[in-house]
Amino acid sequence: MATREVISSGNELSALAAADAGCMFFGGYPITPSSEIMHELSDLMPERGGVCIQMEDEIAGVAAAIGASMAGVRSMTATSGPGISLKAENLGLAQMCEAPLVVANVMRGGPSTGLPTRVSQGDIRQAKNPSHGDYRSITLCAGNLSECYTETVRAFNLADRFMQPVFVLLDETIGHMHGKAMLPTVEEVQAGIVPRKEFTGEPSEYHPYGVGDDEPAVLNPMYKGYRYHFTGLHHDKNGFPTEEIETCRKLIQRLEDKVMNYTDEIELNEEFMCDDLGADDVLIIAYGSVSLAAKEAIRHLRKDGIKAGLFRPITIWPSPAKRIKELTDTVKNVLCVELNIRQYTEEVERVSSRLDIEGLYKVNGRAISPYEIVAKVKEVF
Amino acid sequence: MARTIMRFTGVGGQGVLLAGEIFAEAKITAGGYGLKTATYTSQVRGGATVVDITLDDEEIFYPYANEGEIDFMLSVAQVSYNLFKSGVTDGGTIVVEPNLVHPTDEDRKRWNIVEIPIITIAKEEVGNVITQSVVALAIANTFMNAVDRQVLLDTMLSKVPAKVHDVNLKAFDLGEKYAKEAMAK
Repeated sequence: MATREVISSGNELSALAAADAGCMFFGGYPITPSSEIMHELSDLMPERGGVCIQMEDEIAGVAAAIGASMAGVRSMTATSGPGISLKAENLGLAQMCEAPLVVANVMRGGPSTGLPTRVSQGDIRQAKNPSHGDYRSITLCAGNLSECYTETVRAFNLADRFMQPVFVLLDETIGHMHGKAMLPTVEEVQAGIVPRKEFTGEPSEYHPYGVGDDEPAVLNPMYKGYRYHFTGLHHDKNGFPTEEIETCRKLIQRLEDKVMNYTDEIELNEEFMCDDLGADDVLIIAYGSVSLAAKEAIRHLRKDGIKAGLFRPITIWPSPAKRIKELTDTVKNVLCVELNIRQYTEEVERVSSRLDIEGLYKVNGRAISPYEIVAKVKEVF
Repeated sequence: MARTIMRFTGVGGQGVLLAGEIFAEAKITAGGYGLKTATYTSQVRGGATVVDITLDDEEIFYPYANEGEIDFMLSVAQVSYNLFKSGVTDGGTIVVEPNLVHPTDEDRKRWNIVEIPIITIAKEEVGNVITQSVVALAIANTFMNAVDRQVLLDTMLSKVPAKVHDVNLKAFDLGEKYAKEAMAK
């Protein structure tokens, strides 16, 4: 893989990734700590022939981005937790209509307006189900500067593959930290772009939602002679509202299965120093900026003779259930470290069928330091 | 080189963020790893701001300074000095703007406190208060010798508009001069 070195911040790298991945529309409303994504795209979009528009509020921001997606271009919005709360209704619409969209969420302290300038990972549960109804969230989480770029690129590709919103979670620490990132070249990113499917037959034979049981909708770009309908209501193969019993059941089952039957295509993890872990060693589970502290902690622990490793889900939702189960079946001492209270620990408990998972949590807007993790490991195991 | 950790503190609006970015970028350009993190409050101006800079030849994971591991701190505001001084290792150097920051006697015993009127230098000798971050940059590098001087200077110039290169070069030179004088004492 060819690489290039870029010195930048996480937010700016996410914006650059969007532009390189062929994003042509950004609609949003600035909010700390995500504003630099929009700021950067307000330069990059016009340069690349796209559009960046600051709307009147968060809701209009996502609505504009969904509209651009419906029209047929790669589209993005960026915000923080309070913005996701506001956008929730429209995110449900995008799930139902199967409008592909990338949503970057740079997490800050919550609930409500919370701690605007401070770090948190409090939106893990929110990302799973931001709005009502049955659908499956695809949520990616950057754990270093390079991934702010690569996961944003991946989000665009997954959005077009699965035809639905894809979340990219950053947090205040990752979004604002400034340093070196090794990135794939633009050529490589562009070579990896698979545009969304397009129907090319007779317009009369086009049924955007008339697809296989676990396939995403095929939404042709607007203004090309293919007529169909978008609605948040249960709809038939042409997108028009219906309450027909089988059609309704199959639609929602399809939204479930189009993701859950293909988790192999979505799952991505990092295992750091896990190769030599035995039953009595220590497995740390962490993601996002906390994983940086965890890696540093593992260096210290190993110097002190404690064998520890890190499992880091990069795809948060759907969770990497099978791999978590394998690791938690092997290693007895498991510690989840999160900047929230048990939001992912509960998922680890569920998929591991274990209730003895230890946790280290912090919710005051401050980072967890490597030494706190070292101390916790020594205390509980 | 071993890991170098520096901390710049002030209040929002003083421009301490840029100096951190320049340090990190210069170290990366010279070969190695540099990370800058900034922590600030939701006040637009006046809130305590802290910038941590970590430089190393090895890859750096955790981007913040650990308590007690900071080699060098520079502070231009009492509120942030009070909040963030505890991160500095015993015997470490803390440069303060003496018109704005008043360390206690205990502080002077615990750390090597150096008084340099950074803001007065920028305002009166350079003639532009905004250049205080460049004065601070030069002071920090003179004390720490963290990054090759020329690389730091080139990186700094690449970050400021061409029309203000001259004043920033002057700020850099003055920062170095005052730091050397303070070290000679």
